[in-house]
Amino acid sequence: MKHVAIAALAAVLMGGVAHADTIKVGVVGPFSGPFALQGKNFKAGIDAYMALNGNTVGDDTIEVIYRDIPTADPAQSKALSQELVVKEGVQYLAGFYFTPDAMAATPLLEQANVPMVVMNAATSAIVTKSPYVVRTSFTTWQTSTPIAKVAFDGGTRKVISVVSDYGPGVDAEAAFKAGFEAAGGEIVEAIRMPLQTNDFSPIMQRIKDSGAEGVFAFLPSGPTTLGFVKAFNENGLKAGGVKFFAPGDLTQESDLPALGEAALGLTTTFHYAVSHDSAENKKFVEAAGKAIGNPAELSFPAVGAYDGMHVIYKMIEATGGAQDAAKAVEAVKGLSWESPRGPVTIDAESRHITQNIYLREVAKADDGTYYNKEVQTFEKQGDPGLAAAK
Amino acid sequence: MMALTMNTGTLSTARDRRARLTRDAIGVLVILAVAVLGYLLFPNNLALLTRITAIALLVLSLDLVTGYCGVATLGHAALFGAGAYGAGIAAAHFGITDPIAMLAVGVVAGALAGLVSGAVVLRAHGLPQLVLSIAIIHLAHEAANKASGWTGGSDGLAGIMPDAVFGLWQFDLWGRTAYVFGIVLLIAAFVVLRQIVRSPFGMLCRGIKQDPLRVRAMGASVHGTLIRMYAISGAVAGAGGALNAISTQVVGLDSLSFTLSAEALVMLVLGGTGSLYGALIGTLSFLWFEDVVSAANPFHWLTIVGALLIAVVLFAPKGLYGSLAALIERRGRKGR
Amino acid sequence: MQTVFSIGVDALAYGMVLFVISIGLSVTMGLMRVVNLAHGAFAMIGGYIASYAARDLGLAYAVAVMLAVVGTILIAIPVERLLYHRIYGQPELTQVLMTIGITFCVIGIANYVFGPTLKTIPTPDSLREPVSLGFRTVSAHRLFVIACGTAVALGLWYFIERTAFGVKLRASVDNAAMAAALGVKTEVVYAVSFAVAVGLAAFGGVVGAELLPIEPYYALRYMVTFLVVVSVGGAGSIPGALAACLLLGAIDTTGRYLMPEFGEFFFYLAVIAIVWIFPRGLAGRAK
Repeated sequence: MKHVAIAALAAVLMGGVAHADTIKVGVVGPFSGPFALQGKNFKAGIDAYMALNGNTVGDDTIEVIYRDIPTADPAQSKALSQELVVKEGVQYLAGFYFTPDAMAATPLLEQANVPMVVMNAATSAIVTKSPYVVRTSFTTWQTSTPIAKVAFDGGTRKVISVVSDYGPGVDAEAAFKAGFEAAGGEIVEAIRMPLQTNDFSPIMQRIKDSGAEGVFAFLPSGPTTLGFVKAFNENGLKAGGVKFFAPGDLTQESDLPALGEAALGLTTTFHYAVSHDSAENKKFVEAAGKAIGNPAELSFPAVGAYDGMHVIYKMIEATGGAQDAAKAVEAVKGLSWESPRGPVTIDAESRHITQNIYLREVAKADDGTYYNKEVQTFEKQGDPGLAAAK
Repeated sequence: MMALTMNTGTLSTARDRRARLTRDAIGVLVILAVAVLGYLLFPNNLALLTRITAIALLVLSLDLVTGYCGVATLGHAALFGAGAYGAGIAAAHFGITDPIAMLAVGVVAGALAGLVSGAVVLRAHGLPQLVLSIAIIHLAHEAANKASGWTGGSDGLAGIMPDAVFGLWQFDLWGRTAYVFGIVLLIAAFVVLRQIVRSPFGMLCRGIKQDPLRVRAMGASVHGTLIRMYAISGAVAGAGGALNAISTQVVGLDSLSFTLSAEALVMLVLGGTGSLYGALIGTLSFLWFEDVVSAANPFHWLTIVGALLIAVVLFAPKGLYGSLAALIERRGRKGR
Repeated sequence: MQTVFSIGVDALAYGMVLFVISIGLSVTMGLMRVVNLAHGAFAMIGGYIASYAARDLGLAYAVAVMLAVVGTILIAIPVERLLYHRIYGQPELTQVLMTIGITFCVIGIANYVFGPTLKTIPTPDSLREPVSLGFRTVSAHRLFVIACGTAVALGLWYFIERTAFGVKLRASVDNAAMAAALGVKTEVVYAVSFAVAVGLAAFGGVVGAELLPIEPYYALRYMVTFLVVVSVGGAGSIPGALAACLLLGAIDTTGRYLMPEFGEFFFYLAVIAIVWIFPRGLAGRAK
């Protein structure tokens, strides 16, 4: 009742035109090109949420409009976001797989009176660019910090860090270094390798020569992780007892069938595993698996999108369908719910999601498929990246 | 009036010149008409139109070296990116936020990048030349990625806040200012380039494309001429890059990418090389087509774009503009 | 010293992978004068067929490789007749447009049919074993690739330089009109060469899949690498391509070992330096 009253008030304040019948949500993501799989997961997560919760909030029908940006392209992102806002009249912008794409759209938000729900882009600073940004995915800092503790507690003292040489890779390196050195460990060497690396044998040789007991690695999910993990095995590092630590990007579920045996036993920390054991997740996996067609393609961007839709639904509920970005964002600050990944909260101050981070190990299921088996939980992790940047 | 100023020319060249100027005026009017039409038909899509304008400058500049000089390059985005980062860094790090000043920085940065990449690319011919250009674009991309303190690396260079144009027109959500700014820039570039490609210098470039040996025998410097054209081309591409930086307020590594270089080449060939109109038509039709099909089906549009390219090669082998011009000429001849 | 040997082995293996995948492109670009940007697409098609045959149908690796080569050629024949046929002798830029168009189509279709995930080609156990070389171990697969590369190089050299068909091919390349006048069926020569090039692409795609995994974007992702290698070697020259692959493989591998941070710089600066010294490629012929 209170909501209705506020909505009515808002409607009056907004000139009485606010109560639309169809509320449009614009989703920008990589739906074709090299990252098509991740975009497909966005769509699966969104479809799953709407299949489970209906496509209406109150009297309003929700319509999702997709726009494609195959690779990071801020100019295109801005053009598409602008088009979505001014031409399609979307009340919410969502999606955004790459950081620069999200960054490019943030200057529009205030003027357009549109909140943005980031469903993937993982650089800490995005939420600081506009008060209307809310993020339901993770940051590289958030997922890479706990693995440092895992490494130290497991008795590893000397680690070599090997990351892809681009923003998230540098973030991962910094996060691991901060955590591991604070615990008392030593980073013997920090290597940044070009994104376009096909043959990882020379890198493996470097790792071997460094004398480290363990390696911390970060590469973007996709084809290169396959080469990296295979090289790790083939060059005898795994057999030689070198420990492998990484955030979960390296063992995302959709890559596991290809990684196969080579990935067995790898330990990673991440916010979501498709295998997560909860009623909420079972429901999600079933719906999202159906939406994506081939359940083996399901991966983490789907859960970011699923929860993103949850946040948007809550925003629409709070505003009663009126376009009021400030109020919508205010309504989800501190919002807690049970996500497929576990209990989550939108941090009231940073507008980033606070969530459990899990330590997982790649294991083989009875039916011969591989999965990330959760073995340890780090509860209620915020984003250490923002604090580190200050 | 024209005939008077050309006191040394014969009557017929004066008439030719007047005809050419008329054609230029028509060209400018057509661009203007398309621009106004775009504004009226898609008032909500000006960001896309501005983007098309910026890319059109890149493709025009590519046409200068590929279409007029016969230089094969898959690294032309290096010039565009230099302009974008030049303008962006000037705004974000040095507080040069006046759009005209940013544009000037972009033009200079683009011209310098043109000189450097010209000096390297012109070393070889044919395929090895293509490979040199590929090497350049990758080096430029890597360098921008490395210098993340200046360029923001893969996160993109944010924090570009251009002032109002002449202190009067603020860059707005609707992108009107940016669009008008872009169109004015495009028309200015078009007019200047028309003069350049028609000048003796431009003719020399075309001569080099057809037969470098003979041009050298005539006593002209092949290398020097091409380098100069490369610098001009760089200035134009740099202007496009600066426009991109000003209108989107973010510069990403994609502006220095092989993909953008390759796309620009595709657009140029699609429209038809060796005429400025071809470059404009190619850019407009490719980006518009891409926008329509990718909005209609964000998941599988690439196939349709591929089919379009194949169809163009099969049915309009000289590019859209080239084939159209040839068709009109044939009709005209038949009519006579 | 051990490290030097070790890097040498890696460099050799990587160079050979590059060679096996790129040599088909050298044939189309150098001998048929077609800038075939769809080369990667054919390699990818081969990879998909092999993956389907070996993983989903459970066929033996050798059979899968055969099927991939034959299947890709069968797919390529109508493409050659309908599309490539039209661009022989056309300006390079037109060829670029056509072959990029084909590549886009293949990527889109692969994405639609097989989905965007990585596809692996299961290798037989004998190729998965690590093999000890005394100072280090390498995977047997790497040795297998080195062997394949050597075999392809020798076979192709023999085919072009020593067989009657090779003579006709070289004649058609140098002067198609004259060759036709002398009774060489240039159409057939071109079709066969194209089939050979595509077959090599498919073979390379399958054999190299351990390093360059098969996924829809494969066709564009590695295109630049193939193009660079072939051009640095001098299109159409088998010894040139081999030398370029080994040289660039060595530079890439060493650069990545010594200064991985600047690996990309090493590679492309080396490319510029080589082309600067040999403006026609390592074994390029004067036109």
